[in-house]
Amino acid sequence: MSSKTGIEQLRAIEEQFDRECGAVSDPRSLEEIRNRYLSRKSGILTTQLQNLKDLPSNERAEFGKTANQLKGKIESALATLETTILEREKTSSLQREAVDITLPGNRRRIGHRHPLTIVRKEIEDIFISMGYTVEDGPEVESTFYNFDALNFPASHPARDPRDTFYISDAVLLRTHTSPVQVRTMEKMKPPVRIICPGRVFRRDALDPTHLPMFHQFEALVVDEGITFADLKGTLERFHKQFFGEKTQTRLRPSFFPFVEPGAEVDVSCAFCGGSGCRVCKGCGWIEVMGAGMVHPNVFKAVNYDTGKYTGFAFGGGIERYAMLKYNINDLQLYIQNDMRFLEQF
Amino acid sequence: MKISLSWLKEFVDVVESPEQLRARLTNVGLAVDALDAVGDDFLYELDIATNRPDCLGHVGVAREVAAIYGVSLRMPKFELREGSKPAADVFSISIDDPEQCGRYCGRYIEGVKIGPSPDWLKNRLETLGVRSINNVTDVTNYVMLELSQPLHAFDANTLAKRRIIVRCARSGEKMTTLDGVERNLNPSMLMIADADRSVAVAGVMGGAPTEISHDTTNVLLESANFNPLSIRKTSRALGLSTEASYRFERGADIEMARFACDRAAALIQQVAGGTVYRDVIDVFPGKRQPSVVQLRRSRIQSFLGGAVQDAIVERIFQRLGFKSTATADGWSVEVPSHRVDIALEEDLLDEIARQYGFDKFPATLPSYAGYGAGLSFEAEERLLRNRIAGQGYSEVITIAFSDEQTERRFRANVEPVKLLNPMAEDESILRTSLVPSMLRSLQWNLNRGMRDLQFYELGKVYRNGSEGRWLILAAAGMLRPKSVHEAERSFNFYDLKGDVEDVLQVFDVDGGFTGDKPLAYYHPGRFARVGETVLFGELHPEYTEQFKLRQRVYIAELNVDSILRSRRQPQVEVMPRFPSIRRDLSLLVDSGVTYSQVLAAIPRSKELVKIEPFDRVESGPFPESKYSLAISLWYQSNERTLTDAEVEELHSGVLTALAAKGMDQRK
Repeated sequence: MSSKTGIEQLRAIEEQFDRECGAVSDPRSLEEIRNRYLSRKSGILTTQLQNLKDLPSNERAEFGKTANQLKGKIESALATLETTILEREKTSSLQREAVDITLPGNRRRIGHRHPLTIVRKEIEDIFISMGYTVEDGPEVESTFYNFDALNFPASHPARDPRDTFYISDAVLLRTHTSPVQVRTMEKMKPPVRIICPGRVFRRDALDPTHLPMFHQFEALVVDEGITFADLKGTLERFHKQFFGEKTQTRLRPSFFPFVEPGAEVDVSCAFCGGSGCRVCKGCGWIEVMGAGMVHPNVFKAVNYDTGKYTGFAFGGGIERYAMLKYNINDLQLYIQNDMRFLEQF
Repeated sequence: MKISLSWLKEFVDVVESPEQLRARLTNVGLAVDALDAVGDDFLYELDIATNRPDCLGHVGVAREVAAIYGVSLRMPKFELREGSKPAADVFSISIDDPEQCGRYCGRYIEGVKIGPSPDWLKNRLETLGVRSINNVTDVTNYVMLELSQPLHAFDANTLAKRRIIVRCARSGEKMTTLDGVERNLNPSMLMIADADRSVAVAGVMGGAPTEISHDTTNVLLESANFNPLSIRKTSRALGLSTEASYRFERGADIEMARFACDRAAALIQQVAGGTVYRDVIDVFPGKRQPSVVQLRRSRIQSFLGGAVQDAIVERIFQRLGFKSTATADGWSVEVPSHRVDIALEEDLLDEIARQYGFDKFPATLPSYAGYGAGLSFEAEERLLRNRIAGQGYSEVITIAFSDEQTERRFRANVEPVKLLNPMAEDESILRTSLVPSMLRSLQWNLNRGMRDLQFYELGKVYRNGSEGRWLILAAAGMLRPKSVHEAERSFNFYDLKGDVEDVLQVFDVDGGFTGDKPLAYYHPGRFARVGETVLFGELHPEYTEQFKLRQRVYIAELNVDSILRSRRQPQVEVMPRFPSIRRDLSLLVDSGVTYSQVLAAIPRSKELVKIEPFDRVESGPFPESKYSLAISLWYQSNERTLTDAEVEELHSGVLTALAAKGMDQRK
């Protein structure tokens, strides 16, 4: 064999490799082609290289160089092919693990807070941020704290057993959170700035607009120089914080024995923005609480100097605030505890 | 209080539309609940506050309207033609108890003809929802709606010895009121009596035997003033509330009684004829000087927070019927008798604020140097709520009323708080535990097809003399319902125990679980407690059945106040640097032996850092009297990595100790 023939054979091998290489697509055929050309015992190229020793010495160099070039080319082509095939293998094995992402997720059961708790905590937090401390008091209360100390005359209709639950002549279920005002003032001197949320009771039959037991929050501020204008500003701020910055607050003259002047407090209807709708019965305003300047007789009952101190107080129903916030139209929902209701919060 | 616009216009000029007047009335504190067109009239439904009885009549409301518009008030005009004979010659009136009756005005009218009222009178009453009865009675109602002064007309011929005595009822006295009910009277009740007997419950209701009838010819007309507290007590004691008692309870205008008496006499004369005897018999022991209240000018700014000009202040007083005179630093203000609510400077400031307009004062925030804070243990309460919500429990809030029979089944020895006046028999006490109301919440949902439930309530329970907060957890149905991804699994005792353990760990509650003293409503074999702080387990099947729950229910009751207090601030422990080595063992244990007894048999060393059971098999290739329990033990040192030999030595010590207690390794 001459070197010329040998080199021609190498070219033929190269062409054959190029052809076969294109058909390799998986690890098995890759291994086959590697063995066919490069196997130490029987590879086509190996066999060719074994012929080297049969060539005349002056031709060996050229043949050897060409053969080694070819070997290098095949090895590098196979390495590239191997990378490609492995890459493709990885991709397809991940594809085999694909899931139906449109199936519903596996939801852990997480509990829901009752809307009255959510709203109560929210109200507390707003007032805490304005410098108020939270106070509480007993629900089984004396007539002194519930009525007498709050300037309710002995003839006041709210004392009627048709309206108030009595335990004895002198003990009742508190009808409002206002007794906490008196209890707090008894134990501390001004300045006072408190909020008392809690449960209260009135003798109303259960229906969509009445609960015999409901929740109120009550605020009291006493200091030197507290004015009616401060009451207005505080209520405005609170309602903007709770219902949103667009909310307007309006005070209307009214009467509660423990304040003078007394006021009903309205907020602009959150549902129609004040233009009138079903919720606000067309008037654009919704009544939310009672408020006023603390009556001097209340200060007298707790030995505060009425010449020195003035104060304001206000109180609202937590059920009412939650109704307006969440568009709840039936008070009974709060105590039925239907899961379909609770899980919306 | 219903107010007719056309009637109102007899006393004041209304210069705006009915809708505009509605807004004005609301702005001065006469809240208008409704405004309805009725024929060619308009009806205002006013919500009159308890301190403004003067506005329980058209003239009182007209006075406010006059002040709003700055126009004058016209009192009702009438012409009364008196006969020549003085009433005092034929009738006598006396007040035995001037504390309770400050004034009694009476007029005697002879020869009336009782019949239906003329249309104008009938229509006015009926528009305001008052039934027309006869001409004389209708006049008394008409004048009450006009002047807010209740009146009563007696058939004078039925009054013994032509005498009226205002006195307290005698013990055991009885009287039949106009509504036909025989009333048992007692000496705390103020009565109108004749020479022999009570003829009316003063300020509340007249008596049937002396009422105006078809045959009545002579009338004694009463226009009086009674002590509000006395009227309220009597009205309450009799369970009888009337238009008259409603007004007297709030306080009638003592100066108005005589005017109203004349007004009514003139109207009776007009619609029923008759001769009005000369003079009112006016017994007036309660005559008082008008009260005078001082108002300092500086208080307007310092109390209301805004300035109001002197001229405006004076105009407001004048229009409302107050007489104000200037003083060095403000005004001296004489309060008209119809304003029973005005006694203090603050009351005058209120009059200025509401008539000037609440909206005209600025809105400011008070300055304050203090700081805000939640209730004690508020942070702990929020942590607890978050923890429980994370465990899957949703919050419920239930009514605190219950009945004693139910409560006794859960808290047999707790003395409950009993209501004197419950709304219903099954709401007659305050709850002593949170369990029954929780079971009812579960029942509500189960009845509506929701079976997989986890609820909690954090609320008060009450006993005679104290109230405290408890937490109840309740679960029923599936912990995980079957899904496309997973098999279903029921909530079980150990799920509840795990939730309880988590709370106890987070709040550092010490003390172990025992099954001591199971309460009657718990399954006796599935109950545990931690002292008096925590009770939990499966609800007794009998209770499950009685509350119609139809599936197993698990409940835990925790004393919240005690749990919140026991939490300590976490102090971080350094994590061990050296690996732990696990050894598993499988024991055969006698059936009666509990896991805690197995634990107690394992000798402790500081290297044995954790023990966890991982399998329990009740039957298999071992004696029936035994069960198999597999446990993992972790060995670890803080100083070095333990060698196999060291672990082996520790572990074989454990095995030996267990074997000595009869707990052999399963072969």
